[in-house]
Amino acid sequence: MKVPIQVTVNGKTHAHEVEPRVLLVHYLRDVLNLTGTHIGCETSLCGACTVMLDGQAVKSCTVLAAQANGAHITTIEGFAVNGRLHPVQEGFWERHGLQCGYCTPGMIVASAQLLERNPDPTEAEIRMAIEGNLCRCTGYQHIVEAVQYAARRMKGAAAAD
Amino acid sequence: MSLPSFKLLRPRNVEDALGFLHRYEKEGVQICAGGTDLLPSMKQRLFSPAYVMDIRGIEELTHIRVVPGLGVELGSLVKLSAIEDSGFIATHYPVLREAVMTVASPILRNMGTLGGNLCLDTRCLWYNQSLQWRKSCGYCIKKDGDLCHVAPGGKVCWAVFSGDSAAALLCLHAEIEIASPKGRRRIPLADLYTNIGDDRMRLGKSEILTRIFLPEASAGYSGVYRKLRLRGSIDYPLAGVAVAIRKKGKIIDDARVAITGVNPAPRLVKDATHALIGREMNEHAAMVVGELAARVAKPLTTSLLTPEYRREMIKVFAKQSASRATPSGPSIRD
Repeated sequence: MKVPIQVTVNGKTHAHEVEPRVLLVHYLRDVLNLTGTHIGCETSLCGACTVMLDGQAVKSCTVLAAQANGAHITTIEGFAVNGRLHPVQEGFWERHGLQCGYCTPGMIVASAQLLERNPDPTEAEIRMAIEGNLCRCTGYQHIVEAVQYAARRMKGAAAAD
Repeated sequence: MSLPSFKLLRPRNVEDALGFLHRYEKEGVQICAGGTDLLPSMKQRLFSPAYVMDIRGIEELTHIRVVPGLGVELGSLVKLSAIEDSGFIATHYPVLREAVMTVASPILRNMGTLGGNLCLDTRCLWYNQSLQWRKSCGYCIKKDGDLCHVAPGGKVCWAVFSGDSAAALLCLHAEIEIASPKGRRRIPLADLYTNIGDDRMRLGKSEILTRIFLPEASAGYSGVYRKLRLRGSIDYPLAGVAVAIRKKGKIIDDARVAITGVNPAPRLVKDATHALIGREMNEHAAMVVGELAARVAKPLTTSLLTPEYRREMIKVFAKQSASRATPSGPSIRD
């Protein structure tokens, strides 16, 4: 028996009927065609599917689409505004925070959550914040530098305001 | 991996939830809180319930409430990240924060709840596997089969309780509230667990864990939690030790030690309390605590690490934690 859901994804509201067993990540990718959110391990370990659900970073492979009913979701597609990269995206670009790119959307969401809560994180705090996101290319060093870059940028922007 | 089909129930309050449990008891209802452990297990077909009851919408169970004179009341749906962010918990019940901060990874703690962590399913190398994997091994006593690969010939399941927060809460002498159709009752957390791998909790099919109480008398204990796991960033404990100590001057006034990740239930090491009260913390006292904790630990081959190693690490962690939890004790660097 399908259940009706209504979600706002990247500012746009969608209404669909879904089977209760449909996972949020499958809904985002297969129904909304937002394939920026990746499916990795499907067991909540790797973090590739991380999205923002009502302001909290969550692993969308362990959330039912039905549970997201009424929620505001931001996926990687919603990070850039009018073609301007989010500071974390810019950091990944400038500091080579990715190689194959598979973990990147999840990494960016997790990093953005960190900088929201802690605008001036230490290197250790950055590493701790992304410990649930696995990367098999970079060895994490450039990702950490990308987040540090973003933190500086966001602080600069805040100072300019 | 897809989930098996089920019907979804979404109660808004405890009474509705109890009503659903009662109405669909025969068909089978699986309660889902954060879902971070349950949904992967459902993908592995460890659970294929007719109904999944998502209780996250029960707003009354999502609060941390300080009750002056009594202590703290935590709704079972309080997110682990909320405990981590609570300055009050950090100040007065540091052992709980330490334990919570080691659960999985930050993003999972945004979903995972305290009640879910206490009701966590027991784990075993032969159980937490895909349907295909388990089938090829002839299943096991905990799920679909009648033989135990861990203790061949055994009739008891040794799957291990793998929650971190329970050890800390045992040290704080926490109590829990269970809601049932007959009303609500309050019991010590320690009484929730059976120490039987495939029947881990004394929680009836029509009951829900609703609240956790931290007594005021347990506030102000210094606390440490240490755990052993395969990957430091994310895994379940394969051995965990929580220690909470209160001192008067140099003398230990009260001490509690609890272990997890090695038995089918989290366990208080009661002898450690007797061994420490009225003494000063020193190398010898810390060593005794280690020995006593290891005596309670009964790990078997339920994980990729050997039981001998896990038991030894209980000893090491208990010794280190006892020293670290008493600021004047010898400082031990990790």
